[in-house]
Amino acid sequence: MFYLKVLEITSLYTILVLGVYLMTGLTGLFSLGQGGFVSIGAYTAAIAFLRFGVPFPIALALAVVMGAVLGFLVGIPTLRLRRDYFLLVTFGLGEMVRAGLLYLAQLTGGALGMAGLPRKAGLPLILGSIVVITFITYSLKRSRFGRDCIAIRDDELAASMMGINVYAHKMKVFIISSATTAYGGALYAFNILFIEPNLFNWLESAKLIIITFVGGLNSIAGVIAASAIYYSFGEFFRFIDVWRDVLLAVVVVLVIIFRPGGLFQGLSLLPSKLKAMRRGR
Amino acid sequence: MEILKVEGISKHFGGVVAVENFSMSQGENQISGIIGPNGAGKTTVFNLITGATPVDQGRVLFMEREITRLPAHCRADLGIARTFQNIRLFRNLSVLDNMKVAHDMKVGYTLWEEMLRLPRVRKLERSIDEKARHFLTYLGLESYADQKPQNLPYGIQRRLELARTLMTEPRILLLDEPAAGLNPHEVRGLMETIRKIQEENSLTIVIVEHHMELIMNICSLIHVLDFGKKIAEGEPEAIKKNEQVLQAYLGEEV
Amino acid sequence: MNWNILLQQIVNGISLGGVYALMAVGFGLIFNVLKFSNFSHGGVVTLTAYIGFFLTKYLVANFIVTFLATAILGGLAAVVIERLVFRPIRRKGYPISMLIVNSITVAMLVQQFFAVTLGSDYYTYPIFIKETALHLGDLTVSKIYLLMLSISAVVLGALSYVLRKTKIGIAIRAASSDISTPSLMGVNVDFVISVAFFFSGVLGGITGYLLGMTFTVDPFVGSMILKGIIASILGGMGSILGGVIAGLLLGAAESLLIAEIGAALTPIVIYGAIILLLLIRPQGIAGRITEVKA
Repeated sequence: MFYLKVLEITSLYTILVLGVYLMTGLTGLFSLGQGGFVSIGAYTAAIAFLRFGVPFPIALALAVVMGAVLGFLVGIPTLRLRRDYFLLVTFGLGEMVRAGLLYLAQLTGGALGMAGLPRKAGLPLILGSIVVITFITYSLKRSRFGRDCIAIRDDELAASMMGINVYAHKMKVFIISSATTAYGGALYAFNILFIEPNLFNWLESAKLIIITFVGGLNSIAGVIAASAIYYSFGEFFRFIDVWRDVLLAVVVVLVIIFRPGGLFQGLSLLPSKLKAMRRGR
Repeated sequence: MEILKVEGISKHFGGVVAVENFSMSQGENQISGIIGPNGAGKTTVFNLITGATPVDQGRVLFMEREITRLPAHCRADLGIARTFQNIRLFRNLSVLDNMKVAHDMKVGYTLWEEMLRLPRVRKLERSIDEKARHFLTYLGLESYADQKPQNLPYGIQRRLELARTLMTEPRILLLDEPAAGLNPHEVRGLMETIRKIQEENSLTIVIVEHHMELIMNICSLIHVLDFGKKIAEGEPEAIKKNEQVLQAYLGEEV
Repeated sequence: MNWNILLQQIVNGISLGGVYALMAVGFGLIFNVLKFSNFSHGGVVTLTAYIGFFLTKYLVANFIVTFLATAILGGLAAVVIERLVFRPIRRKGYPISMLIVNSITVAMLVQQFFAVTLGSDYYTYPIFIKETALHLGDLTVSKIYLLMLSISAVVLGALSYVLRKTKIGIAIRAASSDISTPSLMGVNVDFVISVAFFFSGVLGGITGYLLGMTFTVDPFVGSMILKGIIASILGGMGSILGGVIAGLLLGAAESLLIAEIGAALTPIVIYGAIILLLLIRPQGIAGRITEVKA
């Protein structure tokens, strides 16, 4: 029973990490506002279900759509900014979402949050979701789109000289990433059963980015592994739970200095034999 | 047909004038050069032509069509290709993928089709793969296909940059100091390669260089820049004897 | 409209803005020299808030002594961070994104460390100033705020002097234009960078002390750094003066807004305005747009 719960929580957070991976691993964008999208997804689904009686699957879909639409709107002005500015603007947006949720107390329950959500997002749904999302991420990364995005991450200027529309690519990635994150938020709401505006602050967003780096920007499996370890650790070792973040910080600093490809950089989703076969073709 | 025509382009950064009133014209099957002391504005000219930097004044026409306001990636799609002074290969992609990226814009399938991995996509991917391998072989690089660019010898990286430009189906190549960092043997190889590429692909080429032997040997027309302004234009022999050019270079190693 | 209250808010706001300005400058120094956003500055602020407190508690409850000691310790902390966390990355030539991630990590480390060890306790600095308010005509101004403001002004003035008139200050400014210039002046680049971090850390220490003194000491003090960063950006990354002006304006605006529309709505308005400003004028008040060298 306990292990299943751990699996659930870990998978939930891993979905969020994958959302960040899509953005940071593919185009090199750093967003401190991911928390905003988590909250938006969670609240959209929760409000639709509780206040408007929308059936659960539709509530989930609404969360995804909301995430995508907001991603698009946010992206229009911000994706042209340079990296540091983008980081800060997304932070500002995350804070705005938080403040907004607190303020619209009538709709959202304000600081008290929303409770009374039924447990609709069980293990099968979560695991199923993570498999699908991993598949999509993997497909994207291996595709033409993926390599163009990695090119953008490496060198935007050179990428544009190769005919890649940098802005359009970033927008597509951002929308997919936001939608995925919002979906994760919705699942969270219907699994943890309680949400409040301070759910995901900028520090949590930063943690997602950090875990992505530890896992390795070029390795989906690495990112999943890092996420799995970090989040399950917290559950298994409750007594060091509080020190977990300090440990994470130390590990990250060391990893970035000594193994910048990520702790699990060589890890690949496909066993290496399969990869070699593909190459030989 | 005039492939490239630049009319009076200017660019300043803050108070500094990088390029002032520069004009040039480039026809088909031509190899021309842009030379000048360090800081003369040569790379900026390339940036203005390719759209990496917007012009303050002037016009750029490509294949007799005005592209002055066109974004960089569109110009690349039209057929303007360039290499960089500091090699800009994609470090997290293999050599083969570096090649493929340059051709990706030409292939028409959408993101949705990609995500579903339709058979059409796989067929097109195969054709991109073939083309990439073809051009790698063309420049003798096929054995490096699966390696990462930063592990390769410098001369090989330079050649890879050249090969990559060919993947964009270019009409014009802008080479920014292609000989920088090469030893004399490699420079001669480069000259041969440039000639070969030009002839076999009917390209027109503009080269920015410091390496005089290269420029004098393969360019039919040379433009000279100093402090952002063009001070001379002509055939290699004439340029060699030009008073102003020699003065601009006084103290420079020729 | 009650002008007195308005003026009071503005004065309070400017005092807080002075602290934002300190943070903006501390942040901007590093951005100028190393061209990246150093989030660890927030960690330094948090750290020094605690250090200052412990100094007053266990060493001596003297303002000047503990203040100066904290400032210096802040500077040292920043230098240590540079050595341990940033220099190895610079040496190996990794992209800037790595520096940014590491700086965020350090900030997180500091915050979580204190949250774990001391987070549940409330610490307040001793009261240095009796009779907390000053009456200037109709205005009631908090003495502490005035102190903050004057300290900020003095520090920034001193920094300005150092940057303009001393050799190392000029070297720092030279390094901001081109990192290789100091070596042409016969000064070691690593040394210049360490000094820049030291100055930045001193500013951070002062900030931490002031914030701890005026509010409370908790692990999240350093989160204020983001406001400082925003001020730095608004002022124009790379312009110290711009950062100062933006910091003051930000403080004043925040104070006014909270008074008028409440603390709930204020973040929305402020961040919204900042985002808009950045979109319209990305170079900030006084900055320059830097082009990527092709």
